[in-house]
Parts: sequence; C-alpha cells; structure tokens
Amino acid sequence: MDDKANPLSGARDAAQAADLLVKVAAQLNERLALTAEELARSQAVLREASGELMTAFRGAADRLVAAQRDSASGAAPAGSPDYGVVLDHLYNAVQHLQSHDLVNQLIDAQKQRVEKMREKLGEAISLAGPAPQPGEAHQWIERSRAMLDCIVAGIRQMDEDARGPKSDKEHAGSVDLF
Amino acid sequence: MKTILAVDDSATMREMVAFVLESAGYRVIEAEDGAQGLDRATTTSCDLVITDQNMPNMDGLTLVRSLRELRDYKTVPILLLTTESSDAMKAQGRAAGATGWLVKPFDPATLLEVVQKVLR
Repeated sequence: MDDKANPLSGARDAAQAADLLVKVAAQLNERLALTAEELARSQAVLREASGELMTAFRGAADRLVAAQRDSASGAAPAGSPDYGVVLDHLYNAVQHLQSHDLVNQLIDAQKQRVEKMREKLGEAISLAGPAPQPGEAHQWIERSRAMLDCIVAGIRQMDEDARGPKSDKEHAGSVDLF
Repeated sequence: MKTILAVDDSATMREMVAFVLESAGYRVIEAEDGAQGLDRATTTSCDLVITDQNMPNMDGLTLVRSLRELRDYKTVPILLLTTESSDAMKAQGRAAGATGWLVKPFDPATLLEVVQKVLR
C-alpha cells in the first residue's frame, strides 16, 4: 500500500525512519564525544612526558653543543670517549622526541576530524524538530534526506582535511637525492 | 662556519634538527613556516635550507619554488624533511627544484651524512 492509498501510514513510516536517523546520529555523537575526551587525555599524557624528556634533552644538548664549540676553538677536547657516548644517547633521544612530536600531530589531526564529524552530526540532530504535521509524508522524507546528507558529510570528514602527518613506518628515515 | 636554515612549524622538530647540526659544528637559523623561511633566507645568506612540507602560511614546495626564483638561491641545496613519502610528492619536489627528500622521523647520523654530501 503506497502513500496515495494510505497517506497516514506512509507518514507514520517516514516519521519512524526519521526518528531512527536521529537515534543513530545521537548515538554516534555520544561515541565521538567519548573519543574526543580520550584523545584529549592521551595528548595531555603525551605532552607531559614529552615536556619532561625535552627539559632533560635541552640540558644535555646545550652543554654538548657548548663543549663542541669550545673544542672547535681549541679550549677543550670534544673527542673524548664520553663525548661520543653522550652524543649517541642524545641522538637516540632525538628520534624518540620526533616520534612524540609526530604522534602529537596525529592526535591533533584526529581531534579535528572528530570535531568536524560531531558538528555535522549535531546539524543532523538539529533538523529533527519541530515535527511536520501528521500525514505530511513528503516533509518527513525531505527531513530524513537532509539528515542523511549531514550524517554522510560527517563521515566524509574522516577522510578530508587530513593535514596531519602520514604514518609511514616503511619509508621513515628514507633519503632521495635528486 | 656554514649556515643552515631549518624551516618547520613544529618547534620540537626545529630543535631536533638544530641540535644535530649544531653538534656537528654548523650554525642554524630557524623559521616556523615557509613565509618566515623566505624572509630569513633573504636577510641571511644560507648555505643550505632544510624545510618541512606541510606548514601554515606557505608550504615547503612553495618555499622551494620561491627560493629558486631568487638569484642567490639558484644553486643552494634545499632538502625537504617531511612525513610525506609518496612518489608523486617527491616528483613535485624534484620539479620544484629541491635537492633531496628525507622522510621523518629522521636518523641524526643519516641527516648529517646527507647534509655533508650536499654541502660538499
């Protein structure tokens, strides 16, 4: 039986479909809110660890570079075994700190995508009310279509605006000279 | 003493590059995006430029093209140091006039080898 044969039944079905879309959008938004919180918390922990590592790194790096400069001017030898050992440790720290930085940037990019997706889902939810008059199936259908467009646009945000770093372990550290 | 310009919007990355190069005896000046890098390059004579690709205001490839238009930077080596590793991006870098392409995170010893090689 179609809308023309039974307009009230068609409108009821359309209203139920719209209601279902609102529930989907609301649940997705709740999950994304939790994800956003977890990302923020992870980033805070990482930043704290990076900050402490960075402070220790700077203290040693500044002394080493100063020693290297003194050595270049003949004031102190930098060729001692200790110098090489310290340099190796600092070079290891350079790689760890780069990884921290890249992970931090990845989290930033992910946070932006989640936020944009939440905005679109919020738009979809806001389209839910006020309800059309009972029996106006076409209005429910148009509303559902607009909500679906917002939800799809939100999901597409996951692929767009990805200005964060790529996670490419295979090519990390590779060199091409032209 | 050779002067190297390090351009990156990440302060941590700039600091890492600067430490590795300064520990090898180079002088390093820093810029936090392509626009500032171009400005620094025009006010200070640099022997080498190392730049990130994805940055606000001006990206690395645009910086390379802009530098290559300057008479003083026609032959100065320019390295891209970036997380981008696709062949298409590297081809763009080469076409823009970059000397080389290094993918982050970099190994300090490898960075020094490359720097010494292109400055030779």
